[in-house]
Amino acid sequence: MTLSVSGLGAVRSGRTILHPTSLEIASGDRIGLVGASGSGKSTLGHALIDDLRAQGRGVAHVPQSPDEALDPLRSLEFHWNEAELALKAPPDADRRKRLLSALKIAGGDLGKRPWGWSRGMQQRFVIAMALIGSPELIVLDEPTSALDPVIAADTMDLLESHLNGTGTATLLITHDLGLAARRVSRLMVMDEGRVVEAASTQDLLECPRTGAAKSLCAHRSWLAVPC
Amino acid sequence: MTRGILGLVLRACVVLTGVALATFALLWNAPGDPALAIALARYDTVVPADVIDRVRVEAGLDGGFWAAFKGWVGPLMAGDLGRSSVTGRAVWPELAAAGSYTVPLAVAGLGIGLAISVPLAVIATRAPGGWTDRFAVALASLGAAVPAYWLGLLLILLFAVHLGWLPAMGARTRAHVILPALTLGLGVAASLTRIIRSGILEARGQQFLPALRRRGVSDRAIGRDHVVPHAAIPVVTVFGLELAFLLEGTVMVEVIFGRPGLGSFLVAAIAARDFPKVQAVVLLTALVFVVVNLLVDVVYRLIDPRIGERDA
Ligand SMILES: Nc1ncnc2c1ncn2[C@@H]1O[C@H](COP(=O)(O)OP(=O)(O)OP(=O)(O)O)[C@@H](O)[C@H]1O
Ligand SMILES: [Mg+2]
Repeated sequence: MTLSVSGLGAVRSGRTILHPTSLEIASGDRIGLVGASGSGKSTLGHALIDDLRAQGRGVAHVPQSPDEALDPLRSLEFHWNEAELALKAPPDADRRKRLLSALKIAGGDLGKRPWGWSRGMQQRFVIAMALIGSPELIVLDEPTSALDPVIAADTMDLLESHLNGTGTATLLITHDLGLAARRVSRLMVMDEGRVVEAASTQDLLECPRTGAAKSLCAHRSWLAVPC
Repeated sequence: MTRGILGLVLRACVVLTGVALATFALLWNAPGDPALAIALARYDTVVPADVIDRVRVEAGLDGGFWAAFKGWVGPLMAGDLGRSSVTGRAVWPELAAAGSYTVPLAVAGLGIGLAISVPLAVIATRAPGGWTDRFAVALASLGAAVPAYWLGLLLILLFAVHLGWLPAMGARTRAHVILPALTLGLGVAASLTRIIRSGILEARGQQFLPALRRRGVSDRAIGRDHVVPHAAIPVVTVFGLELAFLLEGTVMVEVIFGRPGLGSFLVAAIAARDFPKVQAVVLLTALVFVVVNLLVDVVYRLIDPRIGERDA
């Protein structure tokens, strides 16, 4: 089922940081959202989630940093139970084990507070939590920024293989075109609060039309990085 | 965690030993001859030198500082606060009697303070910057600026003199505690309201809250499970300080309302140079402080174990 939103926007302190934007996301889509720092990617991601939630659609969020996802005073187990409760999903120890092993963090002590885990483990924990309710869309905001390149590629592979065939779409927010190019079939480029270009990954990489896309493509050498 | 708490207890013992030594040294070195003062207080006339010397020996003041200190601390370890150097009666029953007036007053004051400040802060932070918030902040600032003796007199004038609803002076009936407790409680409420309010506002600004909302966690659960613990940290932290305010305020309020209690007990003991009594009050105060701060530290670590980890 297609997810569609229209007229998303955001104004902060009197400044428009997201101009009216409409999006259509088909089930199972792999979309990348790229753009320079401060171009409004996270803002668009938040507005998209809030709008879809208001429509009653199942959408999960992996924030840009684990600090934005986890309460330092609460154990990881608490967060997990809370997420299950929020989704009205009955507690399921098997599912928890399955998801945590899928992201290779089954060995971590869930009784600890987030800061008792490495940031990379916290990030993967947040990704695992996003998978609890089998959402229609997962918005991943710089999901690998806390991870080293090898673990990052690994995590994305694990996530990909877990989502394969489930119909869950992903929106991957990143300023790393190299990461996006390998993981998504469609790319959107943001600049100053607007989606200025949207095309299939191949087309965009081969002939970027806007200035923002061109300057991102100028760093094609990033494609050599393993993720 | 257990090790951390053991460390805290050890620290508390060191503090208490220091307080015992310091008060004793302070009184020992106070100007004037303590034996003369005791003799004067006891006989109320001009006393000959041999009587003063006898008093000196009786009070254990003749063997020098360390001998006197040992003579005091030894029984203290067994919980014996000694005898009044003036009347010769045991200190503990008199101290307990005075405390039986002070403790209910302090507890009632704290209770009133909490009963006012928590709802006021919660209502104020419903709409930060709105008129209820401004009103609450103004009220709290006013409350903190008004001295206890003035507020106490105001309450006496209104409720005792004008309306005739409540008794003001002394401590004959239970109703006598109401006005002093109100005086104390309003002062406590003023400072607590500001702390709780800023604690709630800061907790509401935590960076992870938007993600919890997007995860579907209800506002109720967010308030209960995330905002309250974060808001509690600064409140628990200042609780030890709040106690200092409370002790000081209690003594003052007891004087204003002519209530018996630790305040008048201490004042009378100092005037009579009754060393054992003064020391007992100071030590008791220090003990209450140390125990409350110990509890505050433990609660603090339970809420936020990062504190303990950093220490270790
Ligand atoms: N609360 C706010 N008040 C004012 N300006 C804001 C606020 N939040 C975001 N902005 C501004 O909105 C713009 C877009 O921010 P956003 O976080 O969406 O960028 P981004 O593309 O995700 O950047 P990054 O790659 O660094 O994460 C930025 O210029 C930022 O300064
Ligand atoms: Mg961002």
